[in-house]
Amino acid sequence: MEHQFSIRGFPISNTDFVRYTVIASLTLCSILITAIALSKNAGALYPQLFYFPILYATYFYPKRGIILSGFCGVVYECLIYFSLYPDTFALWSATGQAILFICVALAVGYFTNIIRISEARYRSIFENSLLGIILFDKNQFTISLANHQIAAMLGYTVEEISHVTFSDLFFSRDLQRRFFEHLGSGENIKNFETCFATKTGEPHWVILSWSRIDDVVVSCSITDIHAEKMAREMAVDSSTQYQQLTESSPTGIVITNHTKILYANPAFSRFSGYKPDECIGRIITDSILEEDKDRFVTFAGKWELPSPVPDRAEFRFLTKEGENRQAVLYFTPIIRNSRPAGLINIVDNTEWEEYRGRVEQTKERRKEMMRAVAHELRTPLQPILGYLNLLLQDRNSFGITDETWQILDRCAKSVDQERQIINQMLELSVLEGEETSLDYSVFSVPGIVNGVIANGGYTLKAEIAVDIPHDLHFEADRQKLSYVVDVLIANGVNYSKPPKKVWITYRDSPTLPFHRLAIQDNGIGITEAQLDAIFKPEDDGTSLSSKHNAGGPGLSLAIAKKYVQLHGGYISVDSIGNIGSTFTIHIPKKRPDKDQPS
Amino acid sequence: MTRKIVVIEDDQPILDLMGILLKKLGYEPILIPNGLDALTSVRADPPDLILLDIMMSPLSGWEFLERLRNEYNLREVPVILFTASPVVPEKMEKLNDPKLGILQKPVTYDELKAAISHFLA
Repeated sequence: MEHQFSIRGFPISNTDFVRYTVIASLTLCSILITAIALSKNAGALYPQLFYFPILYATYFYPKRGIILSGFCGVVYECLIYFSLYPDTFALWSATGQAILFICVALAVGYFTNIIRISEARYRSIFENSLLGIILFDKNQFTISLANHQIAAMLGYTVEEISHVTFSDLFFSRDLQRRFFEHLGSGENIKNFETCFATKTGEPHWVILSWSRIDDVVVSCSITDIHAEKMAREMAVDSSTQYQQLTESSPTGIVITNHTKILYANPAFSRFSGYKPDECIGRIITDSILEEDKDRFVTFAGKWELPSPVPDRAEFRFLTKEGENRQAVLYFTPIIRNSRPAGLINIVDNTEWEEYRGRVEQTKERRKEMMRAVAHELRTPLQPILGYLNLLLQDRNSFGITDETWQILDRCAKSVDQERQIINQMLELSVLEGEETSLDYSVFSVPGIVNGVIANGGYTLKAEIAVDIPHDLHFEADRQKLSYVVDVLIANGVNYSKPPKKVWITYRDSPTLPFHRLAIQDNGIGITEAQLDAIFKPEDDGTSLSSKHNAGGPGLSLAIAKKYVQLHGGYISVDSIGNIGSTFTIHIPKKRPDKDQPS
Repeated sequence: MTRKIVVIEDDQPILDLMGILLKKLGYEPILIPNGLDALTSVRADPPDLILLDIMMSPLSGWEFLERLRNEYNLREVPVILFTASPVVPEKMEKLNDPKLGILQKPVTYDELKAAISHFLA
């Protein structure tokens, strides 16, 4: 901030103060010189010495300099007049000198002003330019001038960059050589793209334009294109990547304007049977099977909406060779060349559909076979079971001894087991094959548990401890859950070690979404290998069912598992060798939504 | 008076067995090995109950049942489907016939007794 002086109440600035001081001292100098010259009568030469201080002042301060020279001219004229009077020639000569002096002062002032304005103009361009500007020596490549912009661009200070030679600014020898070639052509060059090295040695892309100022000095302006170049390279990179991705994708990819194909990748070309260039310009609708066209038109109609949303649908296509193919179309709205377009992924699932069909067929066939097998297995059992029953019912009329009766009874029990196994096998095939609906009701849990224990006569075989709140209720399929409880209790009883003991406990946890009903035995436990196989109907000999003889628990456990899964729950097993196993039934506290598949 | 039960079954050993069991249960069994003959028989002499096998030819159990229910005087005769096929229960439920029961082969003596007495109490 400039300090304020004042002369008679008028404020003057620091700069003006210096100015006035300079002018005043120079004027004083002039007058002193003139006075000394006159007093020594040194002739006409000396007084003219005062031109120089005044011209000097005029150079710095043209306006005031001219006023001053006018004033000094008049003073000089007066002094000469008094001293030389009546020498007329001398007077005219002095007057002429005074006029000449004023003219010179005017000319100096005028040109100084022009130079000053032009200098100011160029200085402002040089300093404020957004371009980097460097003046360098054409032969030595020394930098005579560099603006702040170029210094900042390359990470130097203005001072530092002026010590660097221009040729050293290039990032590589090769770039330097190319620059020399262009410079050597002697022409003014515009838009020469090259790469400079920053102070830290990083590449920095620029565009140079240069022109010769004279035989030696070259003025070079430098445009920073690094960011733009990097962005462009990145765009090219990612565009190349995208292209590679789409070209190598096994999924058909198509870009459309409405239903007209603008781009199709090789996978789509293979899928449709049309060559890539044949695909371009085709209407997708033409490739859709006649029966699906109406549906497709509706589907594609949604692409025309002001703000379309991603969508998917399955259609059958007709290839160029007339083959039918099935595919899922995934539509995504995109912007291509500033216009809305559609990106469509076409996933060919013809083979998958065929496979699915075959699987369905196999399942159906298996179900049919299971039914046929069941029929064929059950029918011959009827006479065996019937006659055995007859003999057992009426032993006296057939004269059956106790021993024979016992043998027959064993036979009847075996047939009955066989019957149960067939029934379970069928139940399992039904559970695996199709949806089984659950008959939900709210029922008392201690009710069914005690019912199962009583019906199974389990208290005769083991000590059963039940610890369930008397008011506990589940919402589930009562019959199926009874079956599950029965299977697990039977399992526990069968695998307990004497003295056999089975605990049935309800474990509540308010934070869990499941009711937990645990059935624990004091048996031999289950090995890791058995744990995996225990719920599987396929028996490889390691599971419990292979050693079990009461209706195949392998099948019944598998059915129990399926029943619980139908409810949206699961059965977990914890087992410790020689201490026992705990089977925990997890049944959702809240009945799963009917719409959701369980 | 002894109640008459017609057994229609194309498997001879089972047919014979049913004859013995029904007699033992105190009914009068009429054993017929095919549906067409059975239809003639029941038209001529309506029984108290029919035990009907399903998988028979030339007339299947279902066809027999349909014709039976079309006869005015046979509409109310209780029929117990006697079958080894696992699809029968589903089909039977759809018919929603109160005079229709089912026994899945193989049946025990007690099951047979219970099923019949359900209709002929």
